[in-house]
Parts: sequence; structure tokens; C-alpha cells
Amino acid sequence: MLEIKNLHVKLADEDREILKGLSLTVPKGEVHAIMGPNGSGKSTLAYVLAGRDGYEVTDGDILWNGESIIDMEPDERAAKGVFLAFQYPMEIPGVAGLTFLRTALNAVRKKRGEAELTTPAFLKLVKEKGQKLNIDVDMLKRPVNVGFSGGEKKRSEILQMALLEPTLCVLDETDSGLDIDALRVVSEGVNALRDKERAFVVITHYQRLLNYIVPDKVHVLADGRIQKTGGKELALELEKSGYAEYTHKAA
Amino acid sequence: MNVAVMKTKAEQAISESFEAAAEKLPGTDVVRERRAQAIGAFSSLGLPHRRIEEWKYTDLRANVKEIFPAALDDAMPLTIAELIVALGPLAHVDAHRIVFVNGHHRAGLGDFADAAGFEVAALGELLATATEDVSADLVSTPEGGDAVETLNTAFVTDGAVVRVTEGASASKPLLIVFVRTGGSASSVAVRNFVTVEDGASATVIEAHVVLPGAAQDAQLNALTEVTVGNNAALHHAKVAVDEGKALHLTSCDVTLSADATYRNFQFSAGLGLARNGLNVIFEGEGGKIDLSGGYLARRAEHIDTTLVVDHAVPRCESRELFKGVLEDHGRGVFQGKIIVRPDAQKTDGKQMSQALMLSEDAEFDSKPELEIYADDVVCGHGTTVAELDPDLLFYCRSRGIPEKEARALMIESFIGEAIEKVENEQLRGALASYATQWLGRSSGR
Repeated sequence: MLEIKNLHVKLADEDREILKGLSLTVPKGEVHAIMGPNGSGKSTLAYVLAGRDGYEVTDGDILWNGESIIDMEPDERAAKGVFLAFQYPMEIPGVAGLTFLRTALNAVRKKRGEAELTTPAFLKLVKEKGQKLNIDVDMLKRPVNVGFSGGEKKRSEILQMALLEPTLCVLDETDSGLDIDALRVVSEGVNALRDKERAFVVITHYQRLLNYIVPDKVHVLADGRIQKTGGKELALELEKSGYAEYTHKAA
Repeated sequence: MNVAVMKTKAEQAISESFEAAAEKLPGTDVVRERRAQAIGAFSSLGLPHRRIEEWKYTDLRANVKEIFPAALDDAMPLTIAELIVALGPLAHVDAHRIVFVNGHHRAGLGDFADAAGFEVAALGELLATATEDVSADLVSTPEGGDAVETLNTAFVTDGAVVRVTEGASASKPLLIVFVRTGGSASSVAVRNFVTVEDGASATVIEAHVVLPGAAQDAQLNALTEVTVGNNAALHHAKVAVDEGKALHLTSCDVTLSADATYRNFQFSAGLGLARNGLNVIFEGEGGKIDLSGGYLARRAEHIDTTLVVDHAVPRCESRELFKGVLEDHGRGVFQGKIIVRPDAQKTDGKQMSQALMLSEDAEFDSKPELEIYADDVVCGHGTTVAELDPDLLFYCRSRGIPEKEARALMIESFIGEAIEKVENEQLRGALASYATQWLGRSSGR
């Protein structure tokens, strides 16, 4: 279970507070959508969950399965099952996709006390997971994400997620830059990972993604705090009425 | 006006070392004469220093304090097994091989008898039997040669003389290996000749390696003269991997005929003070070159890459990409001169030099020089200096890769972009392994 308690976060080199007492609970097996206007703190929440530098937690805590993760390094969190699918996946020229995946997978397995995979076992696994996402091994012989289309980059994120088998999946604006077909493939990849042991935090500005990845709960994030929580119908409401009500309330 | 220049201790030692070695250096009278002339010329030149523009950032007069005795009469044993250890990842490259130990040919370690397309000989043996004319050609200082090339003429003991015969297409690369072994500090001068005749193509890899446990104090002067004929192609690589102390001075002079292709890749890791000089002249239209390289320097290592590309004729293309990783007080120097002569219309030249700085104490000096005398040309150059990208580091770490490994992966990524220029897949793999090894030995960052 993910428990975010009264989380206050500011930028490390500025005094501006971005998250102002955010509280949220996501039980295992559930998909929770976080929706909100631009600048509400959605991406900050994603980065703080994954442990990116440049943010300072001034108050509150984040517990994953009862354990505080705010002082953990990003790679320790990954080993604990936290995974962030980036809004803009990074390109790594000069490093083949397969090398990157294998390095990541074996690092995580090692920390989880599992044996490293042999090359044939690894390739078999990649092939199997890649197939569902229309990613063939040749594509992974190329440098990570270099020259990939927006859709290919997002599929490659979901492949990483499928391989690392996280238990807390944070999806940051996964729908941005995707056409309908790509959105469907990516969503199917995500849905295939839905599991009673796994919690999802799906951050999105638009309701469209939630037609494909149907959430158990929808939270409205505005001005650094959860302003409203509801079922999946809340997303449809927001689509109609917009965020004005919440930004107004916040102001 | 005659100015008497004070000789440094090292310059003095070079002259003395020559006196001691002269009798034992290979070659007939004409060669002896050449050597004597060379040491005379050196005596007035002295070691290059910072007031000579080409050596501004790599001052040998200030940095070379002592001269080690010339390696002569070398009898250090080296087994095949040891050779393989010294070669490290390069041992996995399927290639014909000629081997020199401490600057002297070791026939027993070579494997080039049936090298299809290649004619290979050792310079030292040639000098013992060649006619006066041939000997004089083999031991002369290239036109415009500097003090380092002049010293090579004075001291050269051996090297590979390689010919790729007209129209031949050599499928397997030729590996020219220079191994250092033995416990005493020494100085070695070698010279290679690679001639690719019209319509021929080949891959030649020049490797400078060390048997673990060998003396780290070493001085190398290597000169390679390359001629690529009409419509011929040479893929050339120089791989130098050492343990952080050696002086490594190399020059490579290349002449290209019409429609010739020449690719050169320079890999340097662990060299104490290195100068990788590369001079290319296009003498026939339609020539294409790709000069690239990757270097890794830490502690107080200093790696200098100095290129002169002379577009003397029209319609030639040059590409240059050099990438350096600098850690601790490591220093990279890049000097890239492109000359486009008045007649050399339709020249297409591009140059890029990049450094990745892993410490605040690292230094990178980059000096592109474009001398363009023709008006219908496309020429460009660029230099970038960067640190590791924190966003990329976070991306890797968010996938569970620990910081040290993530940094190593990103450095590999940086240098990997240069290594991708190497066409031979096995060599590419070997260079990537060297880079990984270097990172593994990183000073704990």
C-alpha cells in the first residue's frame, strides 16, 4: 500500500512550495488516477515518488508497504518495487537497449536477492514481454530510445516496467504525444500488468487515457493538494467542466 | 642570428643515448648516415615546447625530464599465452598478426604467412638486406617532419612493412602488435609502412599493449606512413592501452590518391603523456576520410590529438569525431587543422571534438583551425564540453541501476558514440571492453 501523508515539497534551490500537504492512499491491486491542471504539482509528485534530486521534502512522509522511502536513493526505491514511467523518456546514445535492460534487470534482481539472468534466459524474457508491446529484439539492439517515435518511446517504457516487475507503478502523462493506436498498445501493456499485488498511480491531464486504463479512483490535484476524490465518473465530469472550479477554490 | 639554446637534461640525454646506441641500431652505412643527420637536426630543434604553436598545450621540453635507455638486443621472453594476456580484449579479434616485443620483431609470435592480400615484412630484417636506395627510403624523416619524427629516424629499430597488393581485398584484418615487457625502464622507436595499392582494401590495427608487471616507465615513439592508392580503401586503427605513466608519441602520415577511402580510429587509455599526431593529404580528387577516436584520461594523464588534414585537391570529404573522458586531473588536448587549398573546390569537411569532464580539476583544450582558401566549400567544426547529465543519471537510477554503475553506463554511452565509428565488429567489441575495464578501475567515483 502507498501512503502519502501530509507531504510538503519545495524545489531544493527555490523557496517555492509545490506540494502543500498532499495526502493519498493507494492500496495494492488498485489503479488511482491523479488529474489536475498544469502546474498543480502532478509531475513533482511523480518525481518525488521516484526520488529525483532537486526536490526537498519539508514535511510529511511517503510510505510504501509501511516503509518510509523519502530518504532512499532512486535505485533503492526501484529495488523496492517503485517504477516511474517518464513523460519524456530519455535517449541514451551509445548504449544498446538490450544492454540497458539487462543492466537494470540484473541490478534490481541482485538487490531483491534473486539470481542474475543468463543471456539466453534474458533474451527469451525480453522477446516474450516485447511481443505484447510490438517491440522486436532488433529495435532493442539500437541505442536506448534514440530515433524512436513518441509511441515507440512509451512502449519502451512499458517494456522496462514489464521486465522490472515493479509493485508500485507511477505513470507520468503516459498519454502525451500518443495517437489512438499507440495509446491502445500502451494501455493494453499497462492493463496486462494489473494485478492484485500491484498499485498504479496514473497521472494525466486528460480523461482520454482513462478510457483505456480504467481507474478505481480519481483524485483531483490542484495547488499542491488533493482537492477531490471520486470514482471513474469524476474524470468524465472534469472533462466537461474543466479544472476551473478547483483552481478557483485553491486561489 | 644564432641563438645558443640551453639544452635540457633530457635533450642532452637523448644525444648521449644515441651515441651509446648508434652502433647497435640496424641498417647499413646509408642508414647510419641518415640517423646521424637526424640526431644532428634534433640537436638544433630540441624537444618541442609551448612556444611552438603545434605544441602549445603539450610541452615536451617541460614535461620530459629523463630519457630511458633505448631497448636494444632485447631478449625478454614472451610466450603466446603472455601475448594473449597483454592483448586483453584485442585477442578476440580474428586477425593475422605480426608481433614486436620491446621494439623488435618476434617471428615466433606472428601469424601472417598466409595473410591473403597482404605482403608483410619486418623493417629490421629488411634493413639488413635491402639495397641502399630502399634503406634510405625506409629510414628518412617525412617532409615537414617535426622533432619527434626526426627522433624516430635516429632511433627506429623495427616495425611492420605492409603492402596490400593491387586489387586485393583482404578479408581478415592485420594486427600489428607492439608489446612492452620486462622490468627495466626503456625507450622504443618503431616505424610502420602501410601501402594499399590501387583498388585494394584492408583493415590494419596497430596495438600498443603492455604485459602486466612490465616496467611502467616507458617511452615510445611510433611513426606510421600510410599510402592509399586510387580507388583503394584502408580501415586503420591504433589502440594504445597502458598503465598511466608511459610517454607515447605517435605520428601517422597519410597520403591518399584519387577516390581513396581512409578511416582511422585512435583509442587511448592509461597513457601518461600522449601525442597522437595524424597528418592526411588528399592528392587525388574524390578522396574520403573519417578520422575518429576515443580517449580516457585520469590522474594526471594527458592525451593530445593533433590533426592536420590538407585538402590539396577538389572534391574530397573529411569527417572527424573525437571524444575524450577526463577524470581527476586528466587533460585532453585537441588540435584540428583543416587546410583547403585554393584549387580544392567542393571540399566537404566536418570536425567535432567533445569532452566529458568528470572532475573540476580536469582540463580540455580544443583548438580547431580552418584555413580555407577556396570559395565553394562546406566546412564546419564544433567543440563541446559536458558533465554527466543529471537527468540521464536519474533515469538510469530510477531503473534500479546503482549510481556508480549508472555513471559508468553513461560514460560508456559517451565514448560508445565514437567507438561506433569502427566498422570491424570484433574490434568495436574489444574497444568497448577496454572502456568498461577502464571504468571498472575508476578511482572510486
